[in-house]
Formats: sequence, C-alpha cells, structure tokens
Amino acid sequence: MTVGSLLAADLVIAVLAAAGWLGGGAASAARRRPLARGLAAVALLATVVRAITITALARAGWWFAAEKVLIAAPLSLAAVLVAGPRLLRTPGDPRSVAVPLLFAGYANSAALLVTVLHGYPASAGAGLLAVAGVVTATAVSWRALNARPSRAVSRAALVVAVAALVTGTGLAATPAAAPAVPHDHEYREARTVGEPTRRFTLTAGTATVSVSGRDVAAWAFNGQVPGPELTATVGDVLEVTLRNRDIARGVTLHWHGYDVPNSQDGVPGVTQAAVLPGQEFVYRFRADQAGTYWYHTHAVSDVGVRKGLYGVLVVRPAPVTGVDVTVPVHTLSGLPLPAPRTEPVEAGTPVRLRLVNTDSTTHRYALAGAPFQVAAIDGSDLQGPTSLVDTAVLIPAGGRYDLVFTAPATPVALFVDGRAVYSTGPVATATGAWPVLDPLTYGAASPAPWSRFDREFTLVLDRGLDLHGLLPRYAHTVNGAADPDIPPQVVRPGDIVRFTIVNRSLVVHPWHLHGHHVLVLSRNGEPATGSPLWLDSFDVRPGDVWVVAFRADNPGMWANHCHNLAHADAGMTLHLMYS
Amino acid sequence: MRKALVIVTTVLLVAFVLQFVFAAVGAFTRPAGDGAYALHSVTGMAVIPALTLLTTLFAVLAKAPGRLIGLAILPLGLVVVQGLIAMLANASTDAAGASTPFGLTIAGLHALNGIIAVHVVVSVHQAARKLAHPVPADTTPVTVREGEPA
Ligand SMILES: [Cu+2]
Repeated sequence: MTVGSLLAADLVIAVLAAAGWLGGGAASAARRRPLARGLAAVALLATVVRAITITALARAGWWFAAEKVLIAAPLSLAAVLVAGPRLLRTPGDPRSVAVPLLFAGYANSAALLVTVLHGYPASAGAGLLAVAGVVTATAVSWRALNARPSRAVSRAALVVAVAALVTGTGLAATPAAAPAVPHDHEYREARTVGEPTRRFTLTAGTATVSVSGRDVAAWAFNGQVPGPELTATVGDVLEVTLRNRDIARGVTLHWHGYDVPNSQDGVPGVTQAAVLPGQEFVYRFRADQAGTYWYHTHAVSDVGVRKGLYGVLVVRPAPVTGVDVTVPVHTLSGLPLPAPRTEPVEAGTPVRLRLVNTDSTTHRYALAGAPFQVAAIDGSDLQGPTSLVDTAVLIPAGGRYDLVFTAPATPVALFVDGRAVYSTGPVATATGAWPVLDPLTYGAASPAPWSRFDREFTLVLDRGLDLHGLLPRYAHTVNGAADPDIPPQVVRPGDIVRFTIVNRSLVVHPWHLHGHHVLVLSRNGEPATGSPLWLDSFDVRPGDVWVVAFRADNPGMWANHCHNLAHADAGMTLHLMYS
Repeated sequence: MRKALVIVTTVLLVAFVLQFVFAAVGAFTRPAGDGAYALHSVTGMAVIPALTLLTTLFAVLAKAPGRLIGLAILPLGLVVVQGLIAMLANASTDAAGASTPFGLTIAGLHALNGIIAVHVVVSVHQAARKLAHPVPADTTPVTVREGEPA
C-alpha cells in the first residue's frame, strides 16, 4: 500500500470512527440499545484499525503522522476509555450511555477536523481548541439530554473549556514570523548581455481561436494559441518585446525552465511590475542552455495560462538535422491541443519529439511503432539513455521530455492520454496498459557532484484553513501556511542547498523552482540510480517524499511554487531569496 | 422564536435546493476547471454550515425537543463528511489525472449523502412547522379552545 492510499484510508477510517460514536450516542439517546451497541462496536473496530494506519504513517515519516499521534491518538484513547466501560455495563436506562458515546464522537470529530483543517505542523493551539470544542459539545449535550451533570462537573467542564479555548486561540493567533518577502520593491536593472541576435515581439490580447472546428474565446500571444514558437541557437542573445493590448489584469513572460537572470524572470510583484494594457516590457537574455522550454504569463497565471498565454521556447545546439517536432499539450476550454498531425517521414530519418505539458495536471504520453530513447528531461540531456519499447511516460505540469528515434519504414504515432497527436501514418495500438517509465532508474548513473550541504529546507505540502486573508479560505499550504505568509527560504551565493518536499495531501503537486535546476537525490527513501536528473518540474504525489539539491548560483528573489496554477493561486507559493 | 425557527429552516432548505443547482452548474460549465464548482463549494463550506448552526441555535432557543435539536445539528456532520468525500473523489484519479472507477464510486456517495442531508433538512423543517402550529388531534376536541394562541 502506498503512503498516498494509506493517507486516504486513514481519513476514511477516522470518519467511520467519529460517525460510529456519534451515531451510537444518538441511538442511545433514542433508547435504541442494540443499534447503539452495534454502532459503538463499529467505532471501536475503526479505532483499532486506525492505530495500525497511524503507526504505518509514522513509519513512513513523522510529517504524515505528527498530529495523529499527538492529538488524534490521545483523543481516541480518551473516547475508548470513557465510552468503552459504560457499554459493557447493562444498566436500566440506555440513555445513560448517550453522553459518554457522544463525548467519544466529539473527541474523534475534533481530531478529524484538526487533521483536515490544520494538520501540519501539529500545534498545541489546534490541540487545545479541539479539547475546548469537545468539552463544550459534551456539556451542551449533557444539558440537552436533561441528564444534568452535578454542579462540580459543570463548573469543571466550563473551566476546562474556557482555559483550552483561550490558550488555544492565543497560541493559534500568535503572529507567525513576519514574512520578509519585499514585494513591490525596486526591480533590479537587466544585466547587459550584448546586442540581440534574435528579436521577437509578443502581443497579448483577447482573441477567438478555432479548436477542432469550434470557436473558443481565448487570451493569446499574437492572436494564436499556443503563441509563436521562439527558437534560438546556443549563444544567441534573445530580445523579446512583450506588449499588452487588452488583458486588463496584466501579463508578464516567465521563461519556464530557463535559468535567466532574476530581472528577466517575469514574476509580477517580485521581479517586475505586471505589464498592463498599453504598456510593454523588453526581456533580454543569452540563450546558453540548449533544450526544450516554454514561456507563459505569470500574472494571474492560473487563468492566463489556461486561457492560452503560453508558447514554446526551443534552444538548439546546432541547426536542425532530421525531423524536429514540438508537441505542446494544452487543454483550452476543455478541448485538447494541439490538433492531430500526420506527416510521412522517410525511413532512417532521425526524429526528435519535444513533448511539453502546459496544463496544470499530469499527462500520459505513449510512442507506438518504434523503439525510442528519452534524450532529455526539462531541457537537460540524460546520460546513457537506453532504448524503450511499449513504455509510456508521465510528464508533470510544466515538464518537458525529448523523445528521439530513427524513423522505421512502418508508421509511428504519439498518443497523449490515448489520443493520437502526431503520427507518420495510421497506427492502431492500445497503449493504455503500457508500463510507465520511472526516470529515477533510467540511464547511466554518475557520482553526485556534492557530498556536503550548506542549507537544508523541508517543505510539507498540505491543505489547511487560512484565516490571514480578508476571507477565510481552504488553502493549499506549505508548512502550515499559505502565500503570502510562508517565510522565504534564505540562501547565500554558492551554497549547496538540499531540500525535502513532502506531500501530506491527497492531490499531486508538480513542484517548480524558478531560476535553478534541482538534482534529484531520492524519492521515498530510494536513491535515484539512473542518469543524473536536473529537473525544474516534478510531480510530488500524495505520500511522496522527494529529496533534491541545487547550487545557489543565480542571485535574486525566486518564486518556488506548485505548478498546478490553481494550487499556486490558493496559497502554494513561496520564495527563495539570497542573503 | 418558533416562527424564527421555521423561517431559518426554510432558508436552509432553499440553500440546499440551490446547492443542487450549483452542482449542476459546475457539472455543465465549459471549460470545466476548478472554478466551475466555486459557488457549490462556497455554499457547501460556508453558507450551509452557518445556516445549520443558526437552525440549531434557534431550535435550542425555541425550547424544541432534543430530537429536533439533534436532527438540526445532523446536517453539519453530513456536510463535513460531504467535503471529505469530495476531496477523496478528487484525489482518486490515475497518474495522468483522469477519473478512476473507484473515484467515480466515491463521487456517487457524494450525491447520495447530499440526498440524505436534504431529507434530514426537510424533516427539520416539518418538525419546526409542527412546533410553530401544533396540529390539534381530531379525536380529542377538548384540547382545542377558541382564542388560545398557538
Ligand atoms: Cu499543487
């Protein structure tokens, strides 16, 4: 069982336990003794099973189990100790067990709410608020059931509830370390990189584009989705003029995966101001990394990219030989892009397919009809890639894979989520059951470039209640906080930084650090044994623990966020800054 | 106070009806993004829980019987479970983010739980109306006296 499914199972069992106790309490209040006993038995069984799931989660990593061990376990234990013995006795009125059973239900519900609303880091504040809620709810039920507790018990309950509430609120509301991200600071001047050798102009505007015969309202660069493909050769100096015609909320250009100087990174409020209608901004940088990249707006990025403000950036080491095709996959208004394309390719021709995922979720790509190699991931060439057949690849949101093969005499087709997108002729192959390539074990290893690390960071991804904004929201959180309240990570130039990313939530988070490529060290405790993987976008699945490292060699203020852009908007964004 | 209880349960019932409408809005919105269900989630996570608490509060103030108070608070638990089911269903996708049969089964439970919650609210509403206008029993006409306020 994966840690991800363990997390889901634990949640379901916790709900069963809470519902069993509460239902038992209600049944006994209604004098339905057998039903009450049955429901309580379900709750007891669920509690026992939960001890197993919590232990398993703690073994997978303390991050997954902290609040379950420290808050849920004591509350569940109290529930069993209070409700259990009363159940065994057989007194006259079945209503006499209603309050103990309801107490058990409240204790389990409170623990469940802690996990769901503020699970990580486990905090005394959350625990005390849970206790306050349990005591209050129990006292209210006690009175409502007309089985008045003695005055001493009432007073004790009141004191405990108020004390827990006050202390808990105090602890929870204590201002966290004020984030030191200087938004809206003065943006630094662009470095001079010499005279441009490649000039482009991208004009952002609303447009109507045709997708599989349907007219779709989009936001587009130069009236097309995707925007123009920008190409360059290593050594070129690119100059891209961005103009905004009528995107009211502003646009920028972020060079996804391209480690440009900070001032050219295109993050509004951090490296530049958003380009508003009628304004323009000139980006200039040297193309010194070969490979497949893409560009997109980083202003209102969730809506902006989804509506079409993206395009491909390809930097080649030398002029094209053979067939070189880019396949930027996107979903525009629910319709898949690009349109399927078929072109015959002469046998023996080398073919390179540059697969780009510009959506916010993972896509599955399968190449049928020829053995192929994965030559590069996220723009970096792999070392010693072996030949693959009948194998699919999963590309995370924002990620790129370059597949290379020699065209055979028979047709070849690339399927994306089962849809043929590029082919050299008719191919009818079912690719749905193919195994998926694990890049961590693919290609030839080489020794790690670093043996010591100057900085360590851990990012624990989860969901949680965020009360810091104007309206409360159920945010996607990092270490229990949501943007803009996540403290920045501070590094010094030249540091070797190791960071651990843990996903406690039930959804995939495609992680993306700007300005740097990270080297994958291990996933879920298993070291990467394949070719060194220098990634800028990688899927951290539920229950996953990734350990990656990078050299802090590009000073500035960099976004470090989830590339499911809806998650980034909902709080999952922080910053890496240099001291 | 009993009148107020009837009114707030009516509002809660309307919120539940709207909630089904918003679910349909989400299901038929194109493009189908995370934003399609925004109204549905706000109603489910804020409006309905608040109205449920208000209903319970009014039931207590109206000195309603314990059964009605218990019934009035029940939708809160069902709504929490509802949110968890939605989270699980969204999480139960395959690696490429497509729905799985397991996820769709869980999504079915979300609909089922919603229907149960509506039934509970209908019962609360009926009980509240009964409390506000006690129906005189036909067989015991002596209990009906002219001019006595209900
Ligand atoms: Cu995410």
